[in-house]
Amino acid sequence: MSIRVVGLSKSYRRALAGETVLALNDVTLEIRSGEVFGIIGPNGAGKTTFLGCLLGFLTPDLGRVTIDERPPDDLEVRRVTGYLPERLVLDRWMTGRAFLAYHHALARLPDTERPAEVEAALARVGLPPEAGARPISKFSRGMLQRLGLAQALLGAPRYVFLDEPASGVDPAGVVLFRRLLNEIKGRGVTVVINSHQLEQVERVCDRVAFVKGGRVEAVETLEAGAALARVLRVRSLPGALERMGRERLTALARDAAAALADFSPPQARFAVADDDAAARLVAALVAAGVPVAEAAPDESRLERLFLEPPSGTATP
Amino acid sequence: MNLTLAIGLWRQRLASPVRVVILGLLAVLPPTLMALVPGMGLAALSNGYPIAMVFAVGMIGQDVSSGVLQLVLARPVTRSEYVFSRWLAAGLGASAVSLAQVGLGWALVAIRHSPPDPRAMLLFAAGREFEIFGVVAVMALLSSLMGGLGDLALYVVLNVVGGIMSMVGQFQHVAAVSWLGQELGALLSPHVELAQIVAGTPSWSALAAYASNLTLCLLVAVLVMNRKELSYASG
Repeated sequence: MSIRVVGLSKSYRRALAGETVLALNDVTLEIRSGEVFGIIGPNGAGKTTFLGCLLGFLTPDLGRVTIDERPPDDLEVRRVTGYLPERLVLDRWMTGRAFLAYHHALARLPDTERPAEVEAALARVGLPPEAGARPISKFSRGMLQRLGLAQALLGAPRYVFLDEPASGVDPAGVVLFRRLLNEIKGRGVTVVINSHQLEQVERVCDRVAFVKGGRVEAVETLEAGAALARVLRVRSLPGALERMGRERLTALARDAAAALADFSPPQARFAVADDDAAARLVAALVAAGVPVAEAAPDESRLERLFLEPPSGTATP
Repeated sequence: MNLTLAIGLWRQRLASPVRVVILGLLAVLPPTLMALVPGMGLAALSNGYPIAMVFAVGMIGQDVSSGVLQLVLARPVTRSEYVFSRWLAAGLGASAVSLAQVGLGWALVAIRHSPPDPRAMLLFAAGREFEIFGVVAVMALLSSLMGGLGDLALYVVLNVVGGIMSMVGQFQHVAAVSWLGQELGALLSPHVELAQIVAGTPSWSALAAYASNLTLCLLVAVLVMNRKELSYASG
């Protein structure tokens, strides 16, 4: 029960320019059942093409995609798939409730359960009942995104594909989105996320594929890093960190719920969960007699991957 | 037919004020004219193409270019099911309005003058059904080829081209060009002469041409849709 991608290549013919653009080049990887898998990469890297092939919206030139050993556009796969597109265009003339009911019916879910499940879906994404009666044309960007997410999660899908899910969502929505992802992950749902929001990806994903130039440059496992998504760079006075030593610093960081990521005196990098944790770590360092000259947020693991992609082939 | 998709199309059409106004005018004005002008008869109602167009224009292309189709096809819905359901829904919607229009015309004429020949009315209404389902199939094909409302533009252009070819063929005495123009016109405006069938002298070739045109349009529309890439990455 997994998503398998073998030797996937996809190109587009640009008729006006008279050229062929290779969007995906021999991509092979496996997304395991029940994992949250992120796809990151710069603009034009081939992420959307990759997601389009996973969903069966694009026909590969070479290679194949299978979900549960079936083609992605197989109706049995569609029955257990939820999808939230990046460029979310909904039927603007419908009300929120009518839109969810429409997709509930298209998903061939039982008619008798429709009203209750539509109300539950609205509540699940934090949309008030009155939003259900409002035409979609009057929804804000954030509300649209929530409604799109509610649609994607209708009928308890086993595979969920999310293209920039937190785009345009307010901070409360981002927290809700993370909570929902953890909830569906707990039910064993396989989630594929395409996102530019690296911090969010790092927090929710088990593994991340870094795509560049149509190739998967690296696949990173993030389980351990998910709780410590941010990196704090601390600069001390010369000699201070050496005197304390790597082992003591590691223990001090652990006691402050952080992790020593890099020790290069007079600087050190620590993985921390958030601003509170960063503040606690700095306080602990000062209390331990380390003169902190500067403490600043540094690139996260994924940001560093983005800036300095590894050379060589990825291991799927 | 997928009833959810059909209801979706009807509601989509009724949510457009422009379409509703045009439909209202088409449903009411011709029967009123028919009642007010003595002797005008069924000619006032004209053919079923305008009503069919209100339902059919953009029936696929609008969903493709707006991006709505991606979400629909992410559900357990085949592309052929989508095309056939849209065709049937547009045809049935136009058919209902057409019947209402003919009924209104009959009633108004019956009130002001003497009621028209029921048999002629029946034949007229049935003939329009063939026109409606035929032209909606043509629009399904054009709409699968063109985004947005481009199918209407293509329909007009093809009609003009067909007309020009017919005229040029006749004036220059080039039978092949004239024939091509007439065939193009027939393809774009499918109809069946019911009067001939009722009189017991049906033109089997015309019936076969109607059926094959309709089938061909729908099958090509399905073929085009099956090959269509639904991702903005391909744009």
